[in-house]
Amino acid sequence: MKLPDLNQAFRVAAAELGMCTAAWLFADELSADRGPVGLQQARDSLGRSFPVFDAVLAAKLDGALTPTVDAHGCAEACRGLKRLTVVGYEARFVDALLPLLPDVDVALLAHSSFDPDWDRLLSNYGGRVGRVSLDEYQRRAGPHAGLLTFVYGATGGTGYVVPEWLRVGGEDVRTQFRSFIGWEVLGRAFYVFPRWLVEVDLGSFTAVVGA
Amino acid sequence: MTAAQGATALILLVSLVAQAAWPAQRLLLVMTGALGSLFAASKLTATAPLALFAQVPWDVLVIVVALGLFSEVLASTRAFGLLAVSAARLSRANPKRLLFVFVVGMYAVSGLVNNLTALLLVLPVLLNLLKLLGASQRYVTWTLGAMLVACNLGGAATPVGDFPAILLLGRGAMGFSDYLLRALPQTLVALGALLAAVWLVRPDADTPTEPLVARIALGTVGQLYRGVTVDRALLTPSVVALGAMLAAWLLVPASWGVGPELVAWAGAALVLWLRPGFGEALVRRKVDVEAVLFLLALFLMVGAVRAAGTFELIAQTLPTLPISPKAQVLLFLVVASLVTAVFSAGPGMAALLDVAQTLAQRHPPHAVYVGLALAVCAGSSLFLTAATAGPLAQALTERAQVRVGAGVATFGFFDYAPVGLVGYAVTLATGLGFVWASI
Repeated sequence: MKLPDLNQAFRVAAAELGMCTAAWLFADELSADRGPVGLQQARDSLGRSFPVFDAVLAAKLDGALTPTVDAHGCAEACRGLKRLTVVGYEARFVDALLPLLPDVDVALLAHSSFDPDWDRLLSNYGGRVGRVSLDEYQRRAGPHAGLLTFVYGATGGTGYVVPEWLRVGGEDVRTQFRSFIGWEVLGRAFYVFPRWLVEVDLGSFTAVVGA
Repeated sequence: MTAAQGATALILLVSLVAQAAWPAQRLLLVMTGALGSLFAASKLTATAPLALFAQVPWDVLVIVVALGLFSEVLASTRAFGLLAVSAARLSRANPKRLLFVFVVGMYAVSGLVNNLTALLLVLPVLLNLLKLLGASQRYVTWTLGAMLVACNLGGAATPVGDFPAILLLGRGAMGFSDYLLRALPQTLVALGALLAAVWLVRPDADTPTEPLVARIALGTVGQLYRGVTVDRALLTPSVVALGAMLAAWLLVPASWGVGPELVAWAGAALVLWLRPGFGEALVRRKVDVEAVLFLLALFLMVGAVRAAGTFELIAQTLPTLPISPKAQVLLFLVVASLVTAVFSAGPGMAALLDVAQTLAQRHPPHAVYVGLALAVCAGSSLFLTAATAGPLAQALTERAQVRVGAGVATFGFFDYAPVGLVGYAVTLATGLGFVWASI
């Protein structure tokens, strides 16, 4: 049976849930409805457009189940922080991390290639998470401030992150924040060119968790 | 026709045409027109500007502002977004059911709150669903178009749903329950006819209906709103207040001296005081000043035309037409619908109510007024530009970039035209049928 065009649907989900979270959601539904054939069809039709989805589909075809999120490692890396600015977004991971950081002021950098509805995205947190623009994020700098981003496909000392990280984690701001945390969320290498993402040296983070 | 009648009518007409032609400057245009009307009335009819200001139906403006603020409070409870998600679940993401659930839902909501606020909060959910479903251009057009017509019908269903009905209520032309009992069934008939027409068109024919698409759509929408909760502390008292307002509108006799405007004001004040800081911010920033000034300017221009005796002249001319009295009313309603289609509901209703009041002296008033409300409703649905909800829906749709085939979905004037024609036809036919049966 031919697979319907899911390109636009995946973009909607990836915009407001994050690429990895959306990928597992779609992979689970595809697996339940179409089985391995549907998963392979999705890889063939959408894999090159959405490399994170491709990697998750490959994992699903290998028999992997939707992984549970353990945020304790990330919470440990955030110890002592009073302000945390999250660059990029993965709904399942942010949802898991927040209860472990009850006293930390958390904000999302409101900048993304997928143009999400930030108001709706943040309304899921009932005021617990704020938003900050690229122009203003340095106001959140300080000796107890940190930046967190999600790393995809960390292997051999490098990984892939959203392009915004290159701006906020650049040399000119490294002295303004205490921590630069990378959280590996994909758990496997890419099979196709990692479109939407840029390669970074994992050594540029003060802490990498989940790798 | 006297010089005063000609001058004041010309100013009104030119202002209405100009605001329709250059909507970006419509407030400046009508305010300038109102200034000209005040001068003309003062010089040519010896009607002082203060006398025209005294004729402005301030109670109508109070109701518009109060209900607008009430809608803002309801919107801040996040209930609309969650209602839209519930509607998606109720439809099980089946395109045909989705269209019907959203159209009926918007009809119901528009009867009670400002339909612009409702659209602003419901459309983003629907547009995301259209993306998730992989909807076709035809489906996008008919779904959004039918929703707009349903918004207009819902607004005409109750005396507080939209400006034309509010004006009837505020001017004392009809009582709350009087209007509700007659208009609600007629709008339901028109809604049923609209849905039947849409059913025949089969706009969902080329939109995917596979279970996989529905599963993914519902799963994603559920995740997008996974942590969003209704602000019950605000919603519960607001709903209670709304119920009390409806009860007061229905049950409080006119002899008590508590008009609809006082009820609306009291209800809005009550919910704004639930959170004083938030309420104060809403009053300062969210009052629809544009609508108030626009309506004020219209009322002043219409007042000048009235002072010149033009409406009396039209009312005297109507019976001289070589057609039956019943046909005269029907002709008036058809003209009213077309005037509304070009100039939009506010100007249409404000300018035509005086003529309707004269007709109501010779025919059953409820038939004339409800017929006029339905004719104005029909006119509001004919063109995308006839009601403010149309351009809003157009802007939101363009911004959402819903992909259809190789391109992006559009929802412009010509896309909407077929839906508008169907909406206009069923609404006007219902209105004319009601008048025909009532006179």
